[in-house]
Amino acid sequence: MSSWLSLIIYLVAAPIVGGLLAGWDRRISARMQSRQGPPIFQPFYDVLKLVKKENVVVRRSQNYYIFFFLLLVIFTGGLFFAGADLLLVIFALTLAAIFFVLGAYKASSPYSFIGAERELIQMMAYEPMVLLTAIGMYMVTRSFAVGDIANHPTLLVAALPGVFLGFLYTLEIKFRKSPFDLSCSHHAHQELVRGITTEFSGRTLAMIEIAHWYENVFLLGWVYLFFGSMPGLGVAVALLVFVFVILVDNVFARLKWQAALKSAWLVTVVLGFGNILALAIFFPKPATPAAAKVQPVTPTQLAMPAVAANALNTVDAEPARRN
Amino acid sequence: MNLVLALILVPFVIGSALLCLRVDSLRIILAVGAVLAVCCLSVILAMGLVSIGLNDLPVSAHSINLGMLAIEIAMSLYLIYVGVRAKHPLIAVLVLAQAGLMVWFELGPGAHTAAAQNLFVDQFSVIMALINGLVGGGICLYALGYMREYHEKAHREVPDRRPLFFALLFVFMGAMFGLIFANNLTWLFLFWEITTLCSFLLIGYTQTAEAKRNALRALVMNLSGGLAFALAIVWLHRKTGNIELQAMLHSPDKALVLLPAALLCFAGITKSAQLPFSSWLLGAMVAPTPVSALLHSSTMVKAGVFLVLRMAPIVTGTKVGLLVALVGAVTFAVGSFAAITANDAKRVLAWSTVANLGLIVLCGGIGTAEAIWAGVLLIIFHAVAKCLLFLCVGVIEHKLHSRDIESMSGLIVTMPRVCVLMQIGMAGMFLAPFGMLISKWAVLKAVVDASPVLSIFIVFGSAATLFFWVKWMGKLLEVVTPHPRIEKELDLGESIALHSLAVATFLACLLFPLISTHFILPYVVGVYGPTAAVMSQGNITIMIIMMALVMLFPVTFLNYGRGVRVTDAYLGGANVRGSTHFRSSADSVQDVAIGNYYLRDILSEPWLARWGAIGSAALLTAMLVVAIL
Amino acid sequence: MSSFSKSPWIIHYDASSCNGCDIEVLACLTPVFDVERLGVVNTGNPKHADIFLVTGAVNEQSKDVICNIYHQLPEPKVVVAVGICAASGGIFRECYNISGGVDSIIPVDVYVPGCAARPEAIIDGVVQALGVLEKKQAEMTTLANSLDKTQYLRAEKKDAPEILGLQKTAYQSEAEIYGDESLPALKQTLVELETEFARPEQVFLKAVVNGKIIGSVRGYSLDGTTHLSRLIVHPYFQGRGIGRRLLEEIEKSFSNVKRFEVFTGQKSERNLKQLHQLGFREFKTEPGTASITWVYLQKERK
Repeated sequence: MSSWLSLIIYLVAAPIVGGLLAGWDRRISARMQSRQGPPIFQPFYDVLKLVKKENVVVRRSQNYYIFFFLLLVIFTGGLFFAGADLLLVIFALTLAAIFFVLGAYKASSPYSFIGAERELIQMMAYEPMVLLTAIGMYMVTRSFAVGDIANHPTLLVAALPGVFLGFLYTLEIKFRKSPFDLSCSHHAHQELVRGITTEFSGRTLAMIEIAHWYENVFLLGWVYLFFGSMPGLGVAVALLVFVFVILVDNVFARLKWQAALKSAWLVTVVLGFGNILALAIFFPKPATPAAAKVQPVTPTQLAMPAVAANALNTVDAEPARRN
Repeated sequence: MNLVLALILVPFVIGSALLCLRVDSLRIILAVGAVLAVCCLSVILAMGLVSIGLNDLPVSAHSINLGMLAIEIAMSLYLIYVGVRAKHPLIAVLVLAQAGLMVWFELGPGAHTAAAQNLFVDQFSVIMALINGLVGGGICLYALGYMREYHEKAHREVPDRRPLFFALLFVFMGAMFGLIFANNLTWLFLFWEITTLCSFLLIGYTQTAEAKRNALRALVMNLSGGLAFALAIVWLHRKTGNIELQAMLHSPDKALVLLPAALLCFAGITKSAQLPFSSWLLGAMVAPTPVSALLHSSTMVKAGVFLVLRMAPIVTGTKVGLLVALVGAVTFAVGSFAAITANDAKRVLAWSTVANLGLIVLCGGIGTAEAIWAGVLLIIFHAVAKCLLFLCVGVIEHKLHSRDIESMSGLIVTMPRVCVLMQIGMAGMFLAPFGMLISKWAVLKAVVDASPVLSIFIVFGSAATLFFWVKWMGKLLEVVTPHPRIEKELDLGESIALHSLAVATFLACLLFPLISTHFILPYVVGVYGPTAAVMSQGNITIMIIMMALVMLFPVTFLNYGRGVRVTDAYLGGANVRGSTHFRSSADSVQDVAIGNYYLRDILSEPWLARWGAIGSAALLTAMLVVAIL
Repeated sequence: MSSFSKSPWIIHYDASSCNGCDIEVLACLTPVFDVERLGVVNTGNPKHADIFLVTGAVNEQSKDVICNIYHQLPEPKVVVAVGICAASGGIFRECYNISGGVDSIIPVDVYVPGCAARPEAIIDGVVQALGVLEKKQAEMTTLANSLDKTQYLRAEKKDAPEILGLQKTAYQSEAEIYGDESLPALKQTLVELETEFARPEQVFLKAVVNGKIIGSVRGYSLDGTTHLSRLIVHPYFQGRGIGRRLLEEIEKSFSNVKRFEVFTGQKSERNLKQLHQLGFREFKTEPGTASITWVYLQKERK
C-alpha cells in the first residue's frame, strides 16, 4: 500500500479509533472504580452535542488558534503514518501544541492562563525524552524516516529498553493522565476548573477533543514503532500500554508540577540518555558515513508501513467483536 | 575597482564624516545615503555581477601594513590610558602584552612576510557581507529615529553625543567588512581589535557608573581574546612561515596548525560571549537598543562564530574540536535555562543570543559538512530574527517606558503592529517551520552522526527555549485589562527597518533551498569535497507546506467575531463588571492579575551562570592544554 | 435521537445550601447511582455545561454569582433547582437575607423537591431537564434556520410582557458596561410599559420569527421630531442586521417627519457605531447618573 493510502486511512480512521479508545478509557476507569461507566460511544455523543452548542468566547480570536491546533495535529499524524522524517513529525507536533497554548493565553482568563503555563511546563518535561527517542531510533536504524524504522528488521525495543521506558513515562504526560494531568484533565477530574480548556465551548471544545483523539492514535502508533519488526506484538503492546496508562491514571494522584518536571528530566537523563550513551559506546556508528545513506525521499516514494495500516484495521475490529 | 575594498572603506569614511556633523537632518541624509550605498554594494557582490578586483589596492600592501601598525599602536595607547584611568590594571597588562607582541612580530620575524592575497571572498564571506550590509544598514536607519527619541524624550539625562554614536556605528560596520574579507591574519586582527574598541565605546555611551563598569568588563574579555589571537598569529608564522587564513586552512599537516586554530577558536569564543565569558554580553544590555542589536546580536558576535566556523575544517575530528563543541553545547543548555528566569526583555534576548551562538560554536567544533551547513544557516536566521526582536523591544521600551515582559501584557491591542512583528521574530527564533527550526534540525542530525553524547545538551536546551519564547508570545496576546491603543507606534526609519526584517525572516525561510544551493552548499563542497544533499527534497516540500499552513493563520481573522457570543472569563462566578475584577472574600473587589512563571525556585540564574562558567572554563583550559601537547 | 439526551454536562452550584442536597448530588456520582452511565459529567465550568444544578436558597452573595454563571452557560441551557430551598426558599423563605428560590433571579426549568432531595429524584429531574433541553435546542435551530423569514410588524398591547422580558435580557449587557443595574430600561415595570402602548402617537415595532419576538423599537413624534428609543435585539440574534431593519422600518412609519432623535450611553460603542452607520450624528450630551452620560444623536431626512 502506498503512503498516500495509509495517510487517507489515518485521516478517516484515526478519529474513530481515537474516540473508541477514549470511550474504552472511561469504561475501564469506571470498572476499576466498581461503577458501570458510560457506553463506549459516549465520546462521540459528547462531540456531537458540543457541535450543536452555542460558541461562547472571551476574546473573539481565541478559537482560531484551536482550529489550527486541530489542523496541525492531523498534519502531524498524517506525516507520521505516511512515513516521513520523525524529527519533522516531532516539530510539527510541537507547533500544534503551541497553537493550543497560545489559544488559551488569548482567552485571557486566570484559569486558562495557568493551564497554559502548566501545559508549557509539561511540554518542557517531555520534549527532551521525545527527541532522545527519535535519536535512539536513528542510532539503531540509521534513518529518521518512520517508514524505514517501521520496516527495520531488528526489534527496536531490544536495543532501546531505557528509551522505551523513558518514553512510557513521558507518554503518561502526553496522554494528560494522572499523575501528570496538570494542564487539563479528562472528564471526571477537575484541575483548576478546566485548566487550559476553560474558556472554550461548543464547536471549539469539540475540536480540542477530536485533536486529542488524533494525537492519542499517533502516540500509540509511536509505541508500535518500537516493535515494528513483529507487527502483531506491536499492536498488542500498544493496546497494553494504553490499558497500563489508564491503570496508572486511576492509581496515582496528581503530582505537583515541580515534581513532575524534575522526575521527567531525571528519567530522561538516566534511562533515555543512559541508553543512548550505551549505544554510542558499545555500538558505534558504522564506517560508512551516514551521508551516503541519506537518500532523497519523498512521501510518495516511501514504502508504506503496511503493518501500521493493518494495526488500525485490527483495532477497529476489536470493539465490534467485543460487543 | 576593488569592490571589497570599497565595502570596507565607505563606512569608515562616512563614519569619520559623521563625527563632525551636529545637524540632525544632514546626518540623516548622509547616513541614509551610506546605508543605501553599502546595501547596493553588498548585493552587487553577492550576485557576482561585477568583477571584484580583489588585488587592486590603491597603495602597496606594505604601506597598508605599516598604516595598520600605526593605527594599532594608537588604539593600544588609548586603551592603556583607559585602563590606567579606570584603575583596571588587567586591561593595561593585556593591551601591553598584545600590542607588544604584534609590534615585535611586525617589525621582527614577520617584517618580510608578504601575504600573496590580503583579501579573500568566498560564498561564506558573501553571506556574512549581506548580513552585515543589509541587517546592519537596517539598524542604522532605525537608529536615526530611535536616538532622536532617546535623547529628546526617553533619556534626557544622557549627554547627547550622537555624532560619536553614529560615527562608531559606521566605523564598526566597516571593521566588520574588513574582518569578513581579510585573508591576511594581521589585517583580520586589526579589524577585530577595532570592533572591540567600538564595542567598548558604545557600551559606555550613557556614561553611567554601571555602563562604564560593563564596558570595562567587555574590554577585558575581548582583549584576552585578542591576546590569544596575537599568540595564534605568532605561532602560525613560526610553524608555517605565512600568515594567511586560506593557507592555514589548506595546510597539508593539520596537526601543525592545530594550536593556532585552537587559539583562534578561543578568541572567537570570547567575542561571541560563550561561557565563561557571557557576562559581558549580558552587561552590554545597558547600552541603547541599536547597539544591542548591531553589536551584540546580529553582527559583532557573529564575527566570533564566523572565526570558529572558519576553523572547523582544522579542528574537526580532534579532541580540540570536541572540547570546543562541548563549550558551545554547555553554553546552549545553560543559556536557554537562564533565559527562563529573566523578566527583563533585553536580558532574555541576551541569554537567547548567547545560547544560539553556543549552538553555532557547537557546529564549528563538530566541523563536519552537515554541521557547517547547519551553522551557516543558523547565522543567517539568527541574525535576522534576533535583530528584529531587539529593535521591537527598543520601540516598546520607548512607548511603554518599561522593558519588563509583564508590562507587555495586551500589547496586541496597545501596539498591534509592533506586536505582530515581535510574534514573527519570536516564531522565527524557534518555531517550525521557520528558519531556526530548520537549522536546529540540521544541527541535531549533524550531532547524532558525529558525537551523540552532545545531543543531551541540545534536547534540554531546545525544550527550555520553547518555554520562554511561548510564554512571552502568550503574554503579548493576552488581554486582561484593555488599554487604549498607542497612537504613533513607529516612525519612518523604524518602520522601514522592522518591516523589512520581518519580510526577510519570511523570505529567508521560504527561499532557504535557494540560499543553500547557491551559497552554502558550494561553500561546504569547496571546503569538504562533494557530499550528499543534507536535506532531502521531500523534507523541503513538507516544510513549505507547513509554512503555507502557518501563513494561513491571519486569513482566519476575516471571520472575526462571527458566530460567537462574547462573554466574561470564568472567575468562579465572582465577576464584577466584566473580566477585570472579581469579588473576593470580605466582600472586597480585587483586580485580576496574571503573571508568568519564571521558575526561579528551581532555576537560579546566578547558580547556572556560575557553574556553567566553571564548567566551560575547565573545558577551555583542557582544549588549550590538548592543543599544546 | 438528539445527542443532548446522551451527553448532559452539569455545573453544580451551592447558593446557600446546608450542603444536604449537595451531598445527595455528589452521591449521584458514586458507584451506587453512577450517573456517568447516562453520560453525565460534572464539569466545574459553566462554559462546558448544559445543565445548571442549583441547590440552596438565594441570598445577596449568591445572587451575583448565579447570574454570572447563568450568563456564561452557552445555549441551549436548562436550570434545575434541587431541593425545596432552591425551589421556593424552603424553610428559610421568610428570612431577612433570603430573596427566595432560584426562580427569583433566573428562569428555572425543573424543580426537584425534597429536603434533602434523594439521588433518584435528582436523576429523574436531570432526565426531565434533558427533555426540556432537547425542546429548546429544536426551537433554537428552527429560529436560526428561519431567520430570513423575520417579519417586522406593529406590536400590540398583548405583546408587552414578551417585549419587557426581551428588554431586560437585552439591556443586561448595557448594565455590565456601566456597572449600573439602575438603568431605566431595566427598572421599567409591566404597568408602565402598557401605559406606553396606550399613548396614541407612540409606534411600537416588533421583529418576529416563528411567533417569537426577537427585537423591538418604539418611537413617538413631537413638534416635527421623532424620538426613538428602546431599540432592542435578543443577544443571540445580534449582529445580523435586525436592529438596522427595525430602525429603517420605524423611519418608514414616520414618513412625514424630517428629523429623528435617539440617545444612548457614552460607553456603548457598538450602539454608537451602528447609529453612525445609519446616518445619525451627535449633537449634545447630558449627564445621567454617576456612571452614565447620555449622548444624543440626530438625523435629518432630506
